Amino acid sequence: MIDEQMAVFIGSGLRLAVPIIFAATGEMLSERAGVLNLSLDGMMLMSAFTAALASWATGSPLIGVAAGVLVATAVAGAQAVLSVTLRANQLVVGIGFNILALGSTTFLYREIFGPLSRDPIPGFAQLNLPWLAHIPVIGSALANQTGLAYVSILMVVVTWLILKYTSFGLAVRAVGEDPRAADKAGISVARTRYLGVLYAGILAGLGGAFMSVADSNTFTENMTKGAGYLAITAVIFGGWNPWYTLAACLLFGFATALQFLVPALQLDVPVALLLLLPYLLALVAIAGFVGKSRQPSALTIPFERGG
Amino acid sequence: MVMKNPKLARVAQGARLEFVPLQVLVPVVATLIALGIGLLIIAATGASVLEAIEAFWDGMAGSDFNIGASINRAISLALVGLGFIFASRANLTNVGGEGQIAMGGMFATAAALHGAGGLPLGLAFIVPLAVGTVAGAVWGGLAGFLKAARGTNEVISTLLLSFIALPLVYWSVESFHLLRKPISDVSSLPESAEIPDTTKLPLLFPDNGSPLHIGLLIAAIAVVVVWLVLKHSTLGLRLRAVGLNTTASRRAGMRTSFYVILAMTVSGGLGGLGGAIMILGQQFYLTSDFSSGYGFDGLVVGLLSRGSAVGVVIGALLFGFLRSGSINMEISAHVPSAVVLICQGLIVIVIAGSAILTNRKVTR
Amino acid sequence: MALLELSGLTKRFGAFIALDDISLLIERGEVHCLLGENGAGKSTLCNLVFGVHRPDGGTMTLGGEPFDPRGPAEALQRGVVMVHQHFSLVPTMSVAENLMLGRASAVLKPQDIMVRMEQLAAEYGLEIDPEARIDELSVGERQRVEIIKCLLGDPQLLVLDEPTAVLQPDEIDALLAICRQVALRGKSVILVTHKLGEISRVADRTTVLRQGRIIETVAMDGADIRSLVRSMVGRDVQSAGSVLAAAVDVEGKTPAKPSDAAGPVSPGEAVLQISDLVYRDPHGVPRLDGLSLTVGTGEIVGIAGVEGNGQTELGLILAGLASPSAGAIVVGGTPVAGCTPQEITDAGVGIVPEDRHAVACIRELSVAENLFLGAIGKFSRFGLLDKSARRKAAEAMMRDFDVRASSPDVSMASLSGGNQQKAVLARELSLDPLVFLLAAQPTRGLDVGAIEAVYNRIRAARDDGLGVLLISSELEELMAVSDRIAVIYRGKLVGELAAGSFSREAIGAMMSGHAHV
Repeated sequence: MIDEQMAVFIGSGLRLAVPIIFAATGEMLSERAGVLNLSLDGMMLMSAFTAALASWATGSPLIGVAAGVLVATAVAGAQAVLSVTLRANQLVVGIGFNILALGSTTFLYREIFGPLSRDPIPGFAQLNLPWLAHIPVIGSALANQTGLAYVSILMVVVTWLILKYTSFGLAVRAVGEDPRAADKAGISVARTRYLGVLYAGILAGLGGAFMSVADSNTFTENMTKGAGYLAITAVIFGGWNPWYTLAACLLFGFATALQFLVPALQLDVPVALLLLLPYLLALVAIAGFVGKSRQPSALTIPFERGG
Repeated sequence: MVMKNPKLARVAQGARLEFVPLQVLVPVVATLIALGIGLLIIAATGASVLEAIEAFWDGMAGSDFNIGASINRAISLALVGLGFIFASRANLTNVGGEGQIAMGGMFATAAALHGAGGLPLGLAFIVPLAVGTVAGAVWGGLAGFLKAARGTNEVISTLLLSFIALPLVYWSVESFHLLRKPISDVSSLPESAEIPDTTKLPLLFPDNGSPLHIGLLIAAIAVVVVWLVLKHSTLGLRLRAVGLNTTASRRAGMRTSFYVILAMTVSGGLGGLGGAIMILGQQFYLTSDFSSGYGFDGLVVGLLSRGSAVGVVIGALLFGFLRSGSINMEISAHVPSAVVLICQGLIVIVIAGSAILTNRKVTR
Repeated sequence: MALLELSGLTKRFGAFIALDDISLLIERGEVHCLLGENGAGKSTLCNLVFGVHRPDGGTMTLGGEPFDPRGPAEALQRGVVMVHQHFSLVPTMSVAENLMLGRASAVLKPQDIMVRMEQLAAEYGLEIDPEARIDELSVGERQRVEIIKCLLGDPQLLVLDEPTAVLQPDEIDALLAICRQVALRGKSVILVTHKLGEISRVADRTTVLRQGRIIETVAMDGADIRSLVRSMVGRDVQSAGSVLAAAVDVEGKTPAKPSDAAGPVSPGEAVLQISDLVYRDPHGVPRLDGLSLTVGTGEIVGIAGVEGNGQTELGLILAGLASPSAGAIVVGGTPVAGCTPQEITDAGVGIVPEDRHAVACIRELSVAENLFLGAIGKFSRFGLLDKSARRKAAEAMMRDFDVRASSPDVSMASLSGGNQQKAVLARELSLDPLVFLLAAQPTRGLDVGAIEAVYNRIRAARDDGLGVLLISSELEELMAVSDRIAVIYRGKLVGELAAGSFSREAIGAMMSGHAHV
């Protein structure tokens, strides 16, 4: 009984962590290049909606994911124009996009699906990998995930490899630490930052699409519920390191999953308090840890060439 | 008055003539662009634009009641907006208006339900207002403290504090031992009981059916005080100095942490007052999502105003009326009110994106 | 045929004309020096050649082909490399990573870089540990990394912008030798400096810039140094006095004692006593390591030293912006170590900090607001500002200290560096009480006229009985103004010279750690 519930808890914790892992991993790379995308939540929400819509219209969740990623990348492109080329305040722009995303997805959802629609949309099946299922306790939780969940871990590895072993990764790190030096070394600060933001957009798009077509097979208004903000906090918590960021995402995922476990175990803890737990953890994390791990020196600071 | 002459002299010199129009033009153009796009979207849905506008107008200002309701909304927005510009004078961005409203509203409800109702001499509503203000101030001040003590970015912390405040309100209205009304009532929705009549804000025009209440006077006083403090007081100058250059301000003997915390506390307090006024002035009972959207609206008002208290008043009225209109538009013309959110998002983005025009740096 | 040809280059920043109709040839295999005062346009010229800025008029050719770089990347492609005044290395990355930055290859290849580094070490004697992090290296070592980075790609033209300002004397010698080596291999070198001593040791030809224009280009064999100085400052150096000589560092000319006929008041009781001051940075590295120093009333004590030996930290601690790890500081009987800036001000300490923009003033605020930044409450009633009273007081102060601005209400940013510094001096010297003044790098980036004004103010303060501590990286400045010079090396004072016994050689030796007490 307890074992079964633990398995459900771990399974749902992982599922809830996946969108945050996607978004946080992309965001980490973008922040290493010096751009903070507070619009992450908006990118995810737009992607979740678009993926649901495209999957519903074509019957193919794969097309849904592609459409979602495309839209999130477009938002990222707009964010990049504003924060890199126009040197706008990255945080304020991000909030603007989040309001816009909330408004437009809510609007379109009501226009297209009507206010009360809860029809399931075509989604991915779980893979049921037998060789994983044999691991005790966590085995079934690990095995019963959709393919996208495994992709999220793959993206962490890919991002780590990019940062550590490629010229682009070196450029990203240089641009985020000291854009003036990078510029003088012949690196295009703007191009590197654009690519960083677009990378964050692609991954946020995958995370958003996961929510609608892989996890819940439906779209609900404001369904990200601040997952993008959690992802940003996970990056801070993880000290701009891909593996620690992954750990922070898992922590947030499990903290969110507690709201299912606690009532199932018939513990007398108000669900409302469990709802705020991940955010409280995030707040404690950034208040306690941000000073100790150095953030990229040029984070949120626009670059302007000067003498 | 002493301070008037130099100001006149400066205007006469035309020292700012080049500067003022862009500062005003950008928000106006941004608003117009956004409203235009909003209309296009309405047209694109196939709804009759005329019908939508009519429903919109009706909701905004179709009757004394609607006008009063719109202004009542504007009052809370103005307070959140004032809070935003107060913090931004110290170069702090308080985006946690929603959480501060929520805390203010929740604690004001608690005060009104538990004890304040029997107080004499208007204290019945003054005490809950004060309690709400303090609750918001604590919520904002917490972000200020984290900034001063730990260097935590206030944009992130105020956002997270909002995400923490909202479940707290939900918790308070779904727990019988907190604020939830007894189950014996007809409905059993998770909401608080109605606050006592004595704690409701007195109406300004009780005879003509307008819901306009004395929150208007409170907001007017707040506008004047914030304007005086930011533009003409030693405190305003110190906040500005700390915001522009912390190290130089410290060297000049200012306790910079104190001013960071103070700015966020006052900012949050204004938001809390706005939340308290929402409950005591028009809603009268607490629901879990009573603050929904007001934080963003207040933030946009603050951004639009470009740091000017007068700008806050204009922006708050604009959004107060827009919100009333959009609700009616959804009900009578079946156009989703989310279109207003789209407009707001566009306004924020356009204004932020045009900062390159208004804050052009002097090279060398 | 010349390697680089500039014709009619013009560059404006807003209304300010930084370069005006510059035409110049740089030959292959020559070391070409650009000489000029601060603000003459030397750095701007380099930045045009390197593509950091683009000219508003005129053309360039490189190797006979048109040359119009839209950014450093394009300049690098054409074989133009530059070592900047401020290093362009990413401090948190390793030497090898910095060297790989901007090289074309998708995947990083550290081995290739190591091989090339060994070649350069053999060719020019440029050796450095590829694994070391930049922020662990000394200034001289960082510059070596910069030069290696430049030479990696086998460039045609090496541009060095004021490379010697941060170096110790022996490091300067090594650098100048490398310049000759590079030129010997057929490449060209542009060396920017305002020090004549270096020019005569390394240059083939020298071009003098003043106020954005070329005054003359001369071949160095048989050139008259005196005439170069005249071209550079626009007047005769003898008639202008020792200040100018100090500012341009004329070879072999040690300026006489300052021309104050009255002479310094003989130093009285101690106003500042620092004993065994220790400061460790956040990484635990000791930046000040048991420094002790006394400054008496009516004397100017200079602190000489290569930058990065603890001067900055000493300045921050005296200003109350950093807390010492150990040790005591007493000003006029009041212990102030670890006190707040306000407490230090109350003890009678005026501070002209090293970083004017970050610490001394708030550029966006008005001149009047900056003049009374520490006394905002002085002009107020019931918490509201009395702006007209403040303006009157500010106008009086600006008159007294010759701060030139159209009004006290204009922003500090609109003032020239010299006027900003005069405003800072005005504020700090108007403090009451005032017994001690710290002036850290007080003339950095200022023009000659403002430098003289600053020197006069500091001397006048001394004559009024203040104790003054002058921290400067300009040896000539210290020798011209100080009554006594102490030399700082690795966070400690390693020697001291009394007025009349100043010698460049002795101080230089102490600065580079060859203690000589």
